Amino acid sequence: MSELLWAEKYRPRSLDEVINQKEIVERLKRFIAEKNIPHMLFAGPPGTGKTTIAHALAHDLYGENYRQYMLELNASDERKIEVIRTKVKEFARSRVIGEVPFKIVLLDEADNMTSDAQQALRRLMELYSASTRFILTANYPSKIIEPIQSRCAVFRFTSLKREDVVGRLMYICNQERISCRDRALDVIYEITEGDMRRAINILQAAAALGEVNEDTVYKVVGLAHPREVREMIQLALQGNFIEARKKLRDLMINYGLSGVDIIKQVHREIFSPEIKIPDEVKIIIADYAGEIQFRLVEGADDEIQLNAFLARLALLGRKVKV
Amino acid sequence: MSSERYLPWVIKYRPKNINEVVNQDEAKQKLIAWLKAWEEGRVGKKAVLLHGPAGCGKTSLVEALARTFKYQLFEMNASDSRRKTDIERIAKLASQTSGLTGRKLILLDEVDGLDPRADEGGVEALVEVIENTRNPIIMTANNPYRDHLRPLREIAEIIQMKRLSEKDVITVLDRICKAENLQCDLAALREIAKRSEGDLRSAINDLEAASAFNKKVTIDTVKAVAVYRNRVYAPWEALQKLFNATYIFQAREAATSTDLSHDEFITWINEHIPTYYETPEEVWRAYEALSRADVYLGRIVKTQNWDLLSYALEMMGPGVAFARSAYKYKWRAFKMPERIKLLAETKKSREYREALAEVLAGRLLTSRAIVKNDVIPYLRVIFTNNPAYAAKIANGYKLPEELVKWLAGPRAKEVLSFMKKPKK
Repeated sequence: MSELLWAEKYRPRSLDEVINQKEIVERLKRFIAEKNIPHMLFAGPPGTGKTTIAHALAHDLYGENYRQYMLELNASDERKIEVIRTKVKEFARSRVIGEVPFKIVLLDEADNMTSDAQQALRRLMELYSASTRFILTANYPSKIIEPIQSRCAVFRFTSLKREDVVGRLMYICNQERISCRDRALDVIYEITEGDMRRAINILQAAAALGEVNEDTVYKVVGLAHPREVREMIQLALQGNFIEARKKLRDLMINYGLSGVDIIKQVHREIFSPEIKIPDEVKIIIADYAGEIQFRLVEGADDEIQLNAFLARLALLGRKVKV
Repeated sequence: MSSERYLPWVIKYRPKNINEVVNQDEAKQKLIAWLKAWEEGRVGKKAVLLHGPAGCGKTSLVEALARTFKYQLFEMNASDSRRKTDIERIAKLASQTSGLTGRKLILLDEVDGLDPRADEGGVEALVEVIENTRNPIIMTANNPYRDHLRPLREIAEIIQMKRLSEKDVITVLDRICKAENLQCDLAALREIAKRSEGDLRSAINDLEAASAFNKKVTIDTVKAVAVYRNRVYAPWEALQKLFNATYIFQAREAATSTDLSHDEFITWINEHIPTYYETPEEVWRAYEALSRADVYLGRIVKTQNWDLLSYALEMMGPGVAFARSAYKYKWRAFKMPERIKLLAETKKSREYREALAEVLAGRLLTSRAIVKNDVIPYLRVIFTNNPAYAAKIANGYKLPEELVKWLAGPRAKEVLSFMKKPKK
């Protein structure tokens, strides 16, 4: 007996199955009819279907075995432009057999590339434009350099509407024959703010806990974000540095979190209403968190920097009396 | 020049019998117990890692042990044994049973001299030798806490020798004075002992040097010949000096007085800031300095600008030491940092997370970063709450056992047993 993640199981395979982003889908279908596509930039928030639609497009263009005609790269995983260059070069070398005269390079999260890397990317796009088409996806199109934007047909993906998300979740519930409360699906929508991937993940985890209702949904969200982070902050603010440091180690060992993961979560927690400290202190902490994150990205040591952060919290906490 | 062969005193006055070894009773007892266990075939650790500061008598103790209990001692310097053939020689020796030639004891001196880069694989090769040995093996090290020696720490019984006191050193020096017919002032011996800081070997060398001109050794001759040596300290000794430094130069010296790398020593300081400091102000100031040191070290690695090293050392030494609000000598027990023990676990956990992200990113058509942040947390909820369902997903993605264990934590057994159950 086996099961897949529903985010994969219920992913639309072809453009016909895509229920939202209607105008975009219509325009793309016209490209397919002509068997020609331009370079494209899919821009929009996470979980709105950019990558899914790129795959569906390739599927409709080349058929079931489309993945041999598509090179998938992820800029946030492969930050080095040399890696991207080598892979594109390798991929573009072989010719396409069939009625579509080009192959597709899908470069996900292109806005994570530095502008220098994007300049190099622009040259790649020119160099191989005879045999390849680039589809770039980005959360923030403003972070894509102009020369690339001007070479691409830009598609703006919008956050999914409440009825789109709730409708899709309902569809999945029916397919899976699980009972779910309407209100629960609304709550999922509110938590995920139109990010379909997270919405589906939460639904599946809630279903695993039992009936999908408001309680299980909140429980899933609570469990997914380790309480240890908040506990660690609270211990530090109470001046219990040693216990806070122990929690930090647990987080690194049990969850495999890196220092950057942890400081980002800390940053989110600081502004939650659960952490009862004056706003001006929150600002001081946020500033220091930013400094720590910068140091970590620069290559500093996770544990030492985070310990320094916790030591500062312990000091601040004493001044404001948590 | 006498007719008998000249021997340096450090060799001439080596203890012949284990009872002559001064003030290491605990180490002696442990070592003898371990050797007896070997003789009686009781299962235990097959090797000992004997460690202590330079000149405390590690090699002498092993030699005396061999002589006392009638073992043939095969001595090898591990840092010379980097070549494959040498390791093979040790392995061959270790694998022989003691026959007509008598019982064998193998001494691998200075295993901390193995260079993690130049002698890559050396530690692993030694571990293999130890696993297969039929003869007792003793390794010595000044500092067994280097990261790359971890496999040796795990496979061997760790026995610590302590730094000798001034009194111990004087006892031995006095014995030698009598044997050599020297006239030695007590003040002179005290001065030698003080300068030796527990390094008996250097003390004996100094005594020999001071007596070279005259059979009468005075404090003036000692001052003329004996030197303060650059000492290498065990990490806890260096921490004692660092935290209790009264001057900047002492704290700075302490920061470089171990043979740990800077990163490794920072780990020790990191562990013990709260061991030493009590108030939040002091803890914070010390960490602020240490984190700055860490930043400088990172920049050095990145830019290869070694000029920056002095800033790093100033932060990790004096920066940490002068975080105090008032000076008071405090003795603390500085234990081995938890982190060194947990390092392997932390690393494994991170690797599992990466491996899982790799598997799922391809299937979910997204980046590893998104999988880590938006998928794995929910997967964990499923794996820790609904083992039967988790097992189906694990099968769906053919997740290897170690990833299932990592995801399910305390409920790993349940998930794994559901995975094995045939379809009903």
